[in-house]
Amino acid sequence: MLIADNLTCSFGGVKAVDQLSFVVNHGDIFSIIGPNGAGKTTVLNLFSRFYNADKGEIWLEDDNITKISASAVAKKGIARTFQNVELFERETVLQNLLIAQHIHRTTNLVTECLFVGLARRQEIRFRETAEHVIDLLHLEQYRDAVTGSLPFGVRKLVEIGRALCLRPRLLLMDEPSSGLNPEETEDLGHWIEDINQDLDVTIVMVEHDMSLIGRVASRVLAMADGRLLTIGTPKEVENHPEVIEAYLGC
Amino acid sequence: MRFVLKTSYNRDIDVFRDRVHFFWYFLLVLVMLIAPLFAGTYFQSQLTLLFISAIAGTGLMVLVGYTGLVSLGHAAFLLLGAYVHTLLLKYHIPFVVSLPLAAIACGVFGMIVGLAALRTTGVYLAIATLAFAMIVEQVIKNWKSLTGGNNGLKVSDPTIFGFDLQSDVRVFGLDSEVSIFYYVCFVILVLVLFLIVNLLRAPTGRSFIAVRDSEISAQAMGVNLTAAKIRSFSLSAALTGIAGGLMAHQIGHLFPDSFTIVDSIKLLMLVVVGGLGSVHGVIFGAIFLILLPEAISVLKGWLPQAMVYRGGLEPLIFGSILILFLVFEPFGIYGRWQKILLYFNQFPLYRKKTFKRQRSFLRTERVH
Repeated sequence: MLIADNLTCSFGGVKAVDQLSFVVNHGDIFSIIGPNGAGKTTVLNLFSRFYNADKGEIWLEDDNITKISASAVAKKGIARTFQNVELFERETVLQNLLIAQHIHRTTNLVTECLFVGLARRQEIRFRETAEHVIDLLHLEQYRDAVTGSLPFGVRKLVEIGRALCLRPRLLLMDEPSSGLNPEETEDLGHWIEDINQDLDVTIVMVEHDMSLIGRVASRVLAMADGRLLTIGTPKEVENHPEVIEAYLGC
Repeated sequence: MRFVLKTSYNRDIDVFRDRVHFFWYFLLVLVMLIAPLFAGTYFQSQLTLLFISAIAGTGLMVLVGYTGLVSLGHAAFLLLGAYVHTLLLKYHIPFVVSLPLAAIACGVFGMIVGLAALRTTGVYLAIATLAFAMIVEQVIKNWKSLTGGNNGLKVSDPTIFGFDLQSDVRVFGLDSEVSIFYYVCFVILVLVLFLIVNLLRAPTGRSFIAVRDSEISAQAMGVNLTAAKIRSFSLSAALTGIAGGLMAHQIGHLFPDSFTIVDSIKLLMLVVVGGLGSVHGVIFGAIFLILLPEAISVLKGWLPQAMVYRGGLEPLIFGSILILFLVFEPFGIYGRWQKILLYFNQFPLYRKKTFKRQRSFLRTERVH
């Protein structure tokens, strides 16, 4: 479904990603691991088109998305969450979920200003989607709370909900479990499985928590210093000598 | 504490929460409609000024309060709107056509400034817009064949089908005269608020908010930053242009320095003091801006003579108030109003720390 072909991205003299090639299959929960500074987030940012690849190509099924704009990525069906949470902080949870449906708009400036039937029907449609997501992630009690005032764990969940509101085919998650306590991480595992199976969303996640990966991931990619170490099942990767060396340095 | 049971999505989308809510606004409109019958000429002209300020304020609010882009050059759009409108009137274009045309002209200029502003934010954008205002002023000053340069331009009276809108009408049985222009401005303000409130509960308005709160995730949500910023800038400029056109009639004779940097700052003060990111704030801010000079003139009676006659008292008070608001109430009068409402809503249970400013979590620093 998603193909990275010979991706290279460097900042000055630092090669953050170096000739990285891999394939994510439809229905995968694909996890990227690696020590700090391995270039994991850079890979996600390349997919999100926040960074330009120096070399190589990115394919989403039959589309070459190497050169499209960052805002066009969402229209291709790729949603995204961030490591440190990038919500629209001054707005309520519901508003955040509504903003996320921007790509599904069918109205223009004039119909919106007059708020004629078309705009109103669209708003109702947006709200139905948002309520579905709220229902799925049990966010009912936070619906009208301003996101800036919510606990971190809830914010992370709202961010996942916001990504789901795009109705994506592919979901990129940057360290979904960072900053969560063990119970929240446990719940997160269930959400990820539900999203993957019930909503038929392929997931690519950068993650450090090996127990979470062992539980949900179907395939794992290990990288260090921008280069690919190995791809395989969680068990295989965990015991791979090069991966152990990269983490422990021996 | 009052809860509203919402049984359909339509109730949640509606602007008015319930009938009581609607009733108060309806009452307000009604009071504004009959006010001129009982208010004197001075009071009417002050209210007219308030409406015009609120129109310009709405324009700047869209830009600063909702899109998070700062402009110190909105006087330029007031000036442009006023000159385009006046020139069109001079060539016998009717009022109902020339005002929208002035808005469109300003919208186009706003688009150009917006394009230039794409790569700059914050202080740099403020300075770029300030420079734009200087350019506009100089062009108007020097394009003598069109604008009359420093001699200015006389503004002809607004008419609709030969009826003078700026005339005062004596209503049968009442002593006071009623200004028709008051109603013109009021209707335009209500129209502008209607359009903007609608826009803000639709995808375009939400895309502005997305750009304000996080550009990076706005992009990830599929919001085109360029389009959103240009749209916001041009909408803001168009509304300010309408205000400029109306203001021209209030002034009577236009000069290139009819609107200066001081007006830009006053407008910015309107949105900050009123409350960034709220439409109510525009009205609160406009009331504040109209009342302040009155308050200052009262204050002058109590101050020592030396202070009153040495200029600079007004800017001093304006500046101090702006700073005090930024420090103690960044969400302006509307923010304070909401806190008071909440206090009474939860009366014995209000928690002091509800609005305590907390350190927000680290934003993504890796992306940029």
